[in-house]
Amino acid sequence: MRMHSKTNRRDFIRMGSIAGLGMADIMRMQQLSAADNGDRSDVNCIFIFIVGGMPQQDMWDLKPDAPPEIRGDFRNISTNVPGIQISDVLPGCATVADRMAILRSLTHDDSDHGRGFHIMMSGKKPGAGDFNGNQNNNQHPCIGSMVSHLGRPSVLPPYISVPNFLNSGGPSFLGPSHGPFVIDADPAAPDFSVRDIALPADVATQRGRLRQQALQQINQFEQSAERIGRQVRSFDTFYNKAYNLMASREAREAFDIGREPEKIRDAYGMTSIGQCSLLARRMVEAGCRFVAVENGHWDTHRKNTYSLRDLLCPAFDQAIPALLNDLQDRGMLEKTLVVVTTEFGRTPRINDLAGRDHWPNAFSIVMAGGGVKGGQVIGATDKQAAEVTDRPISPEDMVATVLYALGIDHTKILHTPLGRPVPIADGGKVVHELFT
Amino acid sequence: MSPRLNYIAVLLCALTCLSPSAIGRDLAAIQRVSVQPSAIEISGQDRQQQLVVTGIRVDGSQIDLTHVAAIKLLDPSLASVDAALLSGLQEGETQIRIEAGNSVATIPLRVSNFSNYPPIHFEGDVLPLFSKLGCNSGGCHGKQSGQNGFRLSVFGSDPRADFDALVREGRGRRVFPGAIERSLIYSKAVGISAHGGGQRMSADSQDAQLLREWIRQGMPWGSEQAARVAKITVQPRLRVMLPRSQQQLRVVATYSDGRTRDVTRAASYSSNEAVISDCDSRGIIQTGKVAGEAAITISYMGFVDVSRIVIPQPGATVPVRPSWFTSVNMIDDLVWNKWQQLRIAPSELCDDATFLRRVMVKTSGTLPGVEQVRTFTADSSPDKRAEVIERALASREFTNYWTQRWSDILMVNSKSIGGRGAYVFHQWIRQQIRTNRPYNEWVYDIIVASGNSGQVGPANFYRGQRTPEDVTRTISQAFLGIRMDCTQCHHHPFEKWGQDDFYGLAGYFNGMTRQKLDDNRDLIYHPGHKPISVPVVNRLVQTRPLDGVPTPADDRTDPRPELAKWVTSPKNPFFSRLVANRLWKHLMGRGLVEPEDDLRETNPPTNPELLNHLAETLKASDFDLKALMRHILSSHAFQLSSQSTGTNYSDDQTFSHYLVRRLPAEVMLDAICQVTGVPESYPGHPPGARAIELWDNQLPSYFLDTFGRSLRESPCECGSSGEPTMAQALHLLNAPEIEAKIQNDQGLVSVLSKSDDDVGELIEHIALVTVNRLPTARERKTGTRLLQNASRRQGLEDFLWVMMNSYDFLFVK
Repeated sequence: MRMHSKTNRRDFIRMGSIAGLGMADIMRMQQLSAADNGDRSDVNCIFIFIVGGMPQQDMWDLKPDAPPEIRGDFRNISTNVPGIQISDVLPGCATVADRMAILRSLTHDDSDHGRGFHIMMSGKKPGAGDFNGNQNNNQHPCIGSMVSHLGRPSVLPPYISVPNFLNSGGPSFLGPSHGPFVIDADPAAPDFSVRDIALPADVATQRGRLRQQALQQINQFEQSAERIGRQVRSFDTFYNKAYNLMASREAREAFDIGREPEKIRDAYGMTSIGQCSLLARRMVEAGCRFVAVENGHWDTHRKNTYSLRDLLCPAFDQAIPALLNDLQDRGMLEKTLVVVTTEFGRTPRINDLAGRDHWPNAFSIVMAGGGVKGGQVIGATDKQAAEVTDRPISPEDMVATVLYALGIDHTKILHTPLGRPVPIADGGKVVHELFT
Repeated sequence: MSPRLNYIAVLLCALTCLSPSAIGRDLAAIQRVSVQPSAIEISGQDRQQQLVVTGIRVDGSQIDLTHVAAIKLLDPSLASVDAALLSGLQEGETQIRIEAGNSVATIPLRVSNFSNYPPIHFEGDVLPLFSKLGCNSGGCHGKQSGQNGFRLSVFGSDPRADFDALVREGRGRRVFPGAIERSLIYSKAVGISAHGGGQRMSADSQDAQLLREWIRQGMPWGSEQAARVAKITVQPRLRVMLPRSQQQLRVVATYSDGRTRDVTRAASYSSNEAVISDCDSRGIIQTGKVAGEAAITISYMGFVDVSRIVIPQPGATVPVRPSWFTSVNMIDDLVWNKWQQLRIAPSELCDDATFLRRVMVKTSGTLPGVEQVRTFTADSSPDKRAEVIERALASREFTNYWTQRWSDILMVNSKSIGGRGAYVFHQWIRQQIRTNRPYNEWVYDIIVASGNSGQVGPANFYRGQRTPEDVTRTISQAFLGIRMDCTQCHHHPFEKWGQDDFYGLAGYFNGMTRQKLDDNRDLIYHPGHKPISVPVVNRLVQTRPLDGVPTPADDRTDPRPELAKWVTSPKNPFFSRLVANRLWKHLMGRGLVEPEDDLRETNPPTNPELLNHLAETLKASDFDLKALMRHILSSHAFQLSSQSTGTNYSDDQTFSHYLVRRLPAEVMLDAICQVTGVPESYPGHPPGARAIELWDNQLPSYFLDTFGRSLRESPCECGSSGEPTMAQALHLLNAPEIEAKIQNDQGLVSVLSKSDDDVGELIEHIALVTVNRLPTARERKTGTRLLQNASRRQGLEDFLWVMMNSYDFLFVK
């Protein structure tokens, strides 16, 4: 498969040398072509992480001709794109296949949940350490922190996670300023509210305004009088961002999912994944660049069919199409990349407990919007969905692709506090055929 | 271009870069020029030579004229001159005339043994080129997976593998003697064929010539007898410079056979403070616009040298030492010397209230109380500051706070060592701090710890550090300030340490055993000494301290006491300097070395004499940490105002004004509780326990997580970040938990609202509680408005909220 812009650049350099252009000219052109995806900097991302391991052969990459212990209980159904079939447990997704690209050839080699989480959120295989605790364990920044570090500023925090901190969603050496703003509550809960974005209700709005005015007077006065140090100045920046957030009705209201019409909320489904997806759309609409959504309990070591059919897929299959349709209706789809990803896939063979175990060798993820050409399948696996047979895509490639889609240079070298150069996507290559 | 025109062009360029008056004055004031080297010999492999031209002014000061001087060869056919770099062209002898202003110098040039390129040695000649051009860096072909199929060892750590990668792999496309310029290694590097890393060198450079010659000679490995680099030397090693000026460096490598070679263009350069001065690949230092100091690290073939740059405050005169800035102790003289050198005048002494808050927070993590502030500011005794220092150092809070700080560094993490382990280890550290046991003694105990981890506190150190490699990294960083992380896998890029040094240390912990006693306890012991091998290559390494004598293998003895003696010895410069630097940083806001635990030679202190003095003071007191703190706290340097003067505004390095820092997470949470009069409650801890007292670092706390408590996952305080985030600002402004404390019926506001104080007294009280001083006029005005606009209770709540969000509360000034 040819990579369009890279090929062009290389061809161009070669032609340039032949035509006798000076090296300086060529360097300049390289710089120009490096910036050729700059117009994507208005693309934002909703990154939905299916925690536990999303079964490729029960959802996106069915093997109807395989023996029953591999094939499982689900059947292929046609989608609204001729030639593309997915599982009958996803009838909703089948109606929006024209907006989705199904990547069937993800692959890495770590079957541990925590480590797989790290790999698929940062593109980096971690070294030794505990990756199954519930604390930030990032050895490499996750994509959201990369976006916060390299992307343009915004009124809302540039990187938000909902309904909790994602274990591998930390900033690593980029520092706490690039960690996520965590919505530490489930928007599907009736009493959902986002902490700390406004004064407590009993401190009336008018009173809050008075307090803020008084505070700004005192702090401004201190600043001009003392010309104080750098740390205060950078704290001041965040205070001002906080004020902007609190002052911006649009931003504040974005967090208030109750303002959404019942009809829309119901369309997404009153489930965690439904309402998180909806809140993510509201965040992106209000200017956030990267929203990470976690959806758990997909580790179907037992009763795989029952878990998928009765517990997990109905909510999933309502939320994802609703999100894509809603984004389309609002004219946001072209500027919003939706990624549905996971630590790894699940074993081809169904085990003694009627479940499937961990399988990183080959699995599927989905991308849509943000310039991704829908209605396509990329990559393929063998007859058991066990190994990749065409177009392997590494986690590094996925990270490079998401960064590219958001107009961020995926070849960038970051430096750790020790000064060690770390390539941001570790040599990952953009899956260019995804894009129109 | 004629040399004359060339000279004018360079001068014009210099004029636009420098301020016109500066260069004009400098050239006019030049008394003579001095040129290095004093004679030039281009011969064999030493094919180019960097000149450094220095102007000596009337007052004896020096200025770099290398790129301003006109350099002319009597016989220009022998060598080319480009940016004062002489590259041989043909054999012969002539004179070089160097002219700057009215001064002229002449030195001889001889080009000999030149026509035939001497035999090339892969490791000695070609490999350094890959390091210099960045080919083998960790971000490119040096990373584990290589880049686009071509992999080199990182920083050239495995020359044989690199040789094979070039000569034997790549199906012969990488090197191609039949058509040298089509060899991929060459064509990609000079930009003839497309290269993801871009063009790395120009075809007419010496580097390119070297690479062509190596391929022409048939890609030899080189003679095994070839001399190796023994050291590198940079000139000048210390230079006082102007802002926005240049200085050419000259770097010479000396080989094991005594031969020397100019490697100015082959070495790599990096600055520890690029804002102050940076250095390009030609060895030209360019200073920025601010005064200060920087160190340029020069590395070549694993050898390093440092050139230190001092930039005095531009336009400032040498400060006159104020009469009040007496010498309380040597610290004051040593910081003064630095200010004099950099022409920075210190701020005034801070006032009493600021001092009290500062000394209390920094030593005991606790704000002073209202009465304490009133008494202290009213006290007229001349010794009152010294008395406060003594009281703070003797307080229970001091013990709690420093137990917490050391628990951060020693990774007392209940997640990795369990609740019981964390409790026992924490208690043990507390005991060392409370009794002020000599630092070298308790560190010794940690390194040799054995026993039941449920009873022996420090044994838990070896439960968190599970492999010999983990222990090696942790002990080197936590107690010596040597970052061995890099050397586990490759030679340190900026240090002399390599893999053998790493595994030499790791050998002390090889075989360490953790025998499980029950779910909460392990038996930790060392069954006997067996040296360790470097993995992959399987080379057995002698167990030895860094640069030290090997400890003989003996499989019945625990070798750790040998190491512990070496680590904690007064003769080990790293040990005392690291802890001195840590304490200085904690109290002063910035280390003399930054990061505070990275003491490598190529990261020199901003004030080496001061760091030496602190380390010597510590040793002289038998590692009494409290005595060293007292020494620092008593100095005028600690007691300066944070408010800058005209000349020290941009100074962040020399402590000419106190550095403002945010209250650390635990201290801030305690301060909020103290101010509102409403404590937190922590499971497993008695009522009223404070955040600085917690032994369990995993207790859920949104506040501590948001404000960055130490994760205790690496042996530094870096996990406890003072870095601000939006969530912090939002939390302080809006958190219902804080609002509940403000409004609490047992809290400060409730008490004050029932008192019969008038508005002025209430405002005064709240200012004293929060910012530990009397209110400013602005605060009085703001407070009065808030209190008069609403009910007494509500006004008090609002004013307390305002003061708790003010920078004077959140920061130590």
